[in-house]
Amino acid sequence: MFAETTSVAMVGAEPRPVRVEAHVGGAKDVFKLSGLPDTAVREAKERVRAAVASSSMSFPARWITVNLAPADLPKGGADYDLPIALGVLGAAGTIPARAVVAVGELALDGSVRTGRGALGAAIVAARLGLPCLVSDDAAAEAASVAGADVVPVRTLAEAVAVVSGDEPRSIPPRPRRHRPPAADLAEVRGHPLARRALEVAAAGGHHLFLHGPPGSGKSMLAHRLGGVIPPLSDEQALAVACVWAAGSRSREVDPVPPFRAPHHTASLAALVGGGTGTIVPGEVSLAAHGVLFLDELGEFPARTLDALRQPLEEGSVSLARRGVSVTFPANVQLVAASNPCPCGYAGDRVEACRCQPAAVERYRRRISGPLLDRFDLRVAVRRLHAEELQGAPGESTAAVAERVAAARAFQTERGSLNRDLGRAVLDELAVTPDAGNLLGRAVDRAGLTARGYDRIRRVARTLADLEATDKVGEGHVAEALALRGSW
Amino acid sequence: MRDVRRVERGEAGYPPILATIEDPPQELWVRGRVSDPPAVAIVGTRRATRYGLNLARRMGRAVAEAGWPVISGLARGVDGAAHRGCVEVGGVGVAVLGSGIDVWYPREHRELGESLVASDGGVMSEYSPGTAPEPWRFPARNRIISGLSGAVVVVEAAEKGGALITARLAAEQGREIFAVPGDVDRRTSVGTNLLIRDGAVPVLGAVDLIEALSLVLGPPPRSEEKHELELDIPGGAASVEEVVEVNGGDVASVLSTLGRMEAEGKVRMEVDQVLLA
Repeated sequence: MFAETTSVAMVGAEPRPVRVEAHVGGAKDVFKLSGLPDTAVREAKERVRAAVASSSMSFPARWITVNLAPADLPKGGADYDLPIALGVLGAAGTIPARAVVAVGELALDGSVRTGRGALGAAIVAARLGLPCLVSDDAAAEAASVAGADVVPVRTLAEAVAVVSGDEPRSIPPRPRRHRPPAADLAEVRGHPLARRALEVAAAGGHHLFLHGPPGSGKSMLAHRLGGVIPPLSDEQALAVACVWAAGSRSREVDPVPPFRAPHHTASLAALVGGGTGTIVPGEVSLAAHGVLFLDELGEFPARTLDALRQPLEEGSVSLARRGVSVTFPANVQLVAASNPCPCGYAGDRVEACRCQPAAVERYRRRISGPLLDRFDLRVAVRRLHAEELQGAPGESTAAVAERVAAARAFQTERGSLNRDLGRAVLDELAVTPDAGNLLGRAVDRAGLTARGYDRIRRVARTLADLEATDKVGEGHVAEALALRGSW
Repeated sequence: MRDVRRVERGEAGYPPILATIEDPPQELWVRGRVSDPPAVAIVGTRRATRYGLNLARRMGRAVAEAGWPVISGLARGVDGAAHRGCVEVGGVGVAVLGSGIDVWYPREHRELGESLVASDGGVMSEYSPGTAPEPWRFPARNRIISGLSGAVVVVEAAEKGGALITARLAAEQGREIFAVPGDVDRRTSVGTNLLIRDGAVPVLGAVDLIEALSLVLGPPPRSEEKHELELDIPGGAASVEEVVEVNGGDVASVLSTLGRMEAEGKVRMEVDQVLLA
C-alpha cells in the first residue's frame, strides 16, 4: 500500500535527496500530489497516468497520495515523473517496491527523458548507495560521478523491468563529442612580457589585466590560460558540474577548468546569477575554479562590474529570493582585456592614436577603483611586427603548465592561493633583508599605495614559488614591481 | 660660514691636478672635500632644452654611479641638472663657483650646493668670500672646472657661450672632450656639433658615456653591481618588449632590473611604456 523512491532537488549547487512517498488506499479514483510542487510537477499526474497505460500496465483506479518530502524544499521540473510512476506502481503492488534513485520526465508513450537532475541524482545515489535510473542521453553525465551505479533506461517499461530484477543494460557509449583541440601557448609568438605575466598569473591564481590595441593578441593569450592552470581536483570538478547542473547546463565531472567569456552586453543576472523563478548561477559561478574572461572590460556597465566585486572578494555569491537563499561558488580567476584608448591605438608603434588626451584619460578612468585593485598583474600587449609573427613558436602550454603546477603545490600546502593572501598574512611574509629594503624604497619613491603594496607582495610570493624558494627575495619584489603596471 | 677653508697653491689640500694647468689659481676657497681625481666635468648651456636637462641629469647619475666625481659650475640649465643627477644617486660632486664661496648664484641653487657638501662633495671658488657673480669671472672659473677633471662632457651648447670656452680650455689642458650630437639647426646643439666636427668624441647616451669614459679614465671605480641597474631604454621611452629585445636576457631578469630602476626613481613605468626618469 506504500512505496518510496528517491529523487533529487537542487538547492543552489547542492543536490538534496527528495523522498517520493506514494500511498495507494481507498476505492475512490483520486490522485493527490503534495510537497511544494510547481506547475510542471503537478502536471506529472497526467503524464504518469498516460505513460503507465502506454506501457501496457494498468494504473490503479484508487485513492493515490504522493508526497514529495521534505515538503519545504521547492521542487520544479518534470524529472519527478519517473520516481512518481515507480512509487505509485510499487504501492499498488503492480511491481516490487525497491529503493532506487530515479529522475526523468515521462512522455505519454512511456519513454524517459532525464532533464537537469541527472548529475544531482547520481551524487545522491552514490551517497545513499542506491542504483540511479536516468535516461540514456543523461547516463554519461551521471556516470561521471565517482561511485554512482548508473542504470540507463529508455522507457518506463525498462525501468519497471530493472526494478523487478532484470539485468540492467550497460551504459551506452556516449556519442564522441568533438572537443576542439585545446589552444596551445606554442602558437603565441613573441609577447615575452604577456607570456611571463600569464605564467605568473596562472601560478598564483592572480587576476590578470591585459591592455593593448585591437588585434594584439589579448584574447588569444587569455584563452590559453585555461590550459596552463592545473586540472581540477575530483572535488572541484564535481562542484563545478553541480553549479552547471543548477544552471540547467549539462557538464560531466571533468577535470578541465571551465573557461567562460561573457559578452559585455550580458545582463547583471547572467553575470552574477539570479533570474526569475529558480535561482540560477551566473557566469562568475559557471567559471568557478576556472577562468572568467571579460573582454572589452571598459564596455561592461559600471553597475555590472560593481556587482562582480563582492563575489570576487569572497569567492562565492549569495543570491536570495522569496525567503530562499542559495550560495554559489565564485572563486574564479579573472582575466580582463581592454583597448588602451577609445580608438585603440594609444602607444601603438605603427598606427597613430586619434584620441584627445582627455578622452584617453576618461576612457582609462572607466576601469578604475576597487575592481581594478583586484588585478595583481596589469600588462600592455603590443602588436607584433612582421618578423615576430614569423618568428619561432613560443614555449608550449605543457612546459609552462609544469612550472605552474610546481608553484601551485606550495600554495596548496600553505592552504591558500597567493591571490587570496590578505594583509595580515602578507605582513608575516618571509622576505630577505634586501627584499625588505627594496619594498621600503618602492613605497617611498614609486608612491605605492597600501593596496599596491599588497599586490606587490602577493605577486612576489608567487615569483618565489615559481623558483621554489621559501623566502621572497629582492629579485622577486623587483619583478613584481615591474609587473604591477600603471593603468 | 664656519667650514670655509682657504688653500694656497703649494699647500697640502690644493688639488695636485689643478697645479698642472697653465694658469692655476693662487688660492682656493673650499667647503667640503676636494674630489680625488679622476673626475668628470659635465657642462652646457644655461638655456638648456628639456631634452638637454633630462640628459644632463641622467649623465650626472650615471657618472656618479660609476664612481667618478661630477664637476660642474652650479649654473642654471645643464650644470644644475648634472649636479642634481649626481646628488640623487648619492654621488660625489664638486661645484666650482664664479662668485665668492658664500654667494650663491643663482640663489635657488643654494640648496643644491649645500647638498653637494653634505654628500661628501664640495664647493670651491678662487674668489674671496663676498665676491659678486660678475659675467667676466665665469670664463676664468671654467678653466678650474676643466682643470679638475680628467674628461669634459658638453651636453648642450650654443655656438657661443661658456660651455664652448670650457671645452676649448679643456682641449688646451689636454683633457678628453665629449659632446652630445643634436639636430644641426637646433641652437642648443650647434656648439656640441661643432665640437664633434673638431674632434670631440660624440656620446650617444648615459650608457655610451660610461663606456667611452672607461676608455679614457680607466674602469669606473664603483663595483659592477651598481652597473647592473643600467638597462638601455631605446629613445628614452620604450615598451617593455623593446627593452627586452635591445638588452637581451630573459624577461624575468629584465623585469627585475626595471623594478629596481623604478624603485630608485630611474625609470617610470607608464601604462604602455617605460620612460627614463
